[in-house]
Amino acid sequence: MVLVRSSRSAAEPPPVAVAEADDLPALLAGLDAPDPAVRRRAVRGLGAHPQAVPELCARLLVEPALSVRTVLFTSLIRLKSPAVVEALVPLLREEDAGLRNEATEALQEMPEEVAPYIESLLRDPDSDVRILAIQVLSALPHSDAPRWLVQVVEDDPHVNVCAAAVDCLAEVGGDEAVAPLLALKRRFADRPFVRFAVDLAVRRIEGR
Amino acid sequence: MIQDACRAVDASPPVSPEEYAKLCEFFYRRTGMMFSEKKRYFVERRLQERIVKTGSSGFRDYFALLRFQASGEELQQLVNLMTVNETYFFREDYQFDALTGSMLPELAKARARGSRIRIWSVPCSTGEEPYSIALHVLETWDLCDDYEIEILASDIDSRVLADAADGTYGERSLQRVPMALRQQYFARLAGDRYRLRSEIRDSVDFSTINVVDPLQMARFRGIDVIFCRNLLIYFDDLARRETVEALYECLAPGGFICLGHSESMNRMSSLFRPRKFGDTIVHQKPAEAE
Repeated sequence: MVLVRSSRSAAEPPPVAVAEADDLPALLAGLDAPDPAVRRRAVRGLGAHPQAVPELCARLLVEPALSVRTVLFTSLIRLKSPAVVEALVPLLREEDAGLRNEATEALQEMPEEVAPYIESLLRDPDSDVRILAIQVLSALPHSDAPRWLVQVVEDDPHVNVCAAAVDCLAEVGGDEAVAPLLALKRRFADRPFVRFAVDLAVRRIEGR
Repeated sequence: MIQDACRAVDASPPVSPEEYAKLCEFFYRRTGMMFSEKKRYFVERRLQERIVKTGSSGFRDYFALLRFQASGEELQQLVNLMTVNETYFFREDYQFDALTGSMLPELAKARARGSRIRIWSVPCSTGEEPYSIALHVLETWDLCDDYEIEILASDIDSRVLADAADGTYGERSLQRVPMALRQQYFARLAGDRYRLRSEIRDSVDFSTINVVDPLQMARFRGIDVIFCRNLLIYFDDLARRETVEALYECLAPGGFICLGHSESMNRMSSLFRPRKFGDTIVHQKPAEAE
């Protein structure tokens, strides 16, 4: 018979190492273990300890294994707090695109915590940071998101930043966005892609 | 009562094509599930039901609730309605073709004859999936005599596991099982019921599991192929991330995970490498996993 029944009982106790979940000092020590699997287990365990946020955030910047980094973001999402947002926002300026994207996705998961930072991010002197802030807004379940996007369309001088906001408004915008969008089309009348994006967004918003 | 509910749904404002497109786009971004034009009646009916039940004044009002409700409860309700909870033998069998045509040969190449290959079906519901895997391996993988194939099957619901272990099915479950296979692997019972022969039933190891419980998940290690289909769509984003990361730990390096056709790994995790086998994409834990 080629099919064999498991030799392992499904009810067998879990490995002893998992039992350390409540031992904060052991978990913190695990962050520096040479084996990435041990570091992932430590990071996952620390996801239940709000007091470990500083160590988890610090680890993000030095962790060499992508798998551990991914789990770090998951634990920080679980622990979401103003302190976590404070640590993640600077990552929007990182050279490492993977780190930037993971930070963006993590911030989308903490709408209430990130809300107080949105307006300053949308005024950042770096247009790439403003675009990433709009990406955060694109999937942020927060009722102020349309208002923030309209603000961008009205005030931002950079065409790519405005275009990112237009795309977002096509999905979440209401009637109040229509006039600012049409004004944007006039402001960038020499940019055909803006005209196209605005027309599409207005059609979506008006349900045509 | 049912008639009243139908009338209420019929009385709700119709959904325009643009609104339908908007909902589908939003639903896809949040769940990875895509609805074609063919599914429009199915989707609209359920959408209108939720518009009425939530007391929303129309699509726009309801869409705002879906979009901005911090708890995400309404989105979950809609997801549940949009998901058909039925299973049957050889469902989405192109993944079983990928299993015996590509994944098992690749795994076998890297290990000695006689060694064990572990396949895990989770959630397994009433057993159709793990038994389909067993039958498909026996029927289509030429090398199956050279390796020990171990099939594990788990579900959170102990009632369905009892049915799974019993291995008795009706026509609805067996609709895609050819007569030759029925005759070979099933015993016919009264009332058009069929029971799997004991050598197949006994070859699958059933157990309960809650995939979001790390202690329970720690029991499963060194798995070569995981079938985790149509489960994660029920979870919120964080639970999805955590579950996928837990499944990563369950897999042996180079192991594969198969998700449902409407589930998208790249919306949940970057831990895996996508592999295209025939008509399906599966997700592989890198062999040199760190």
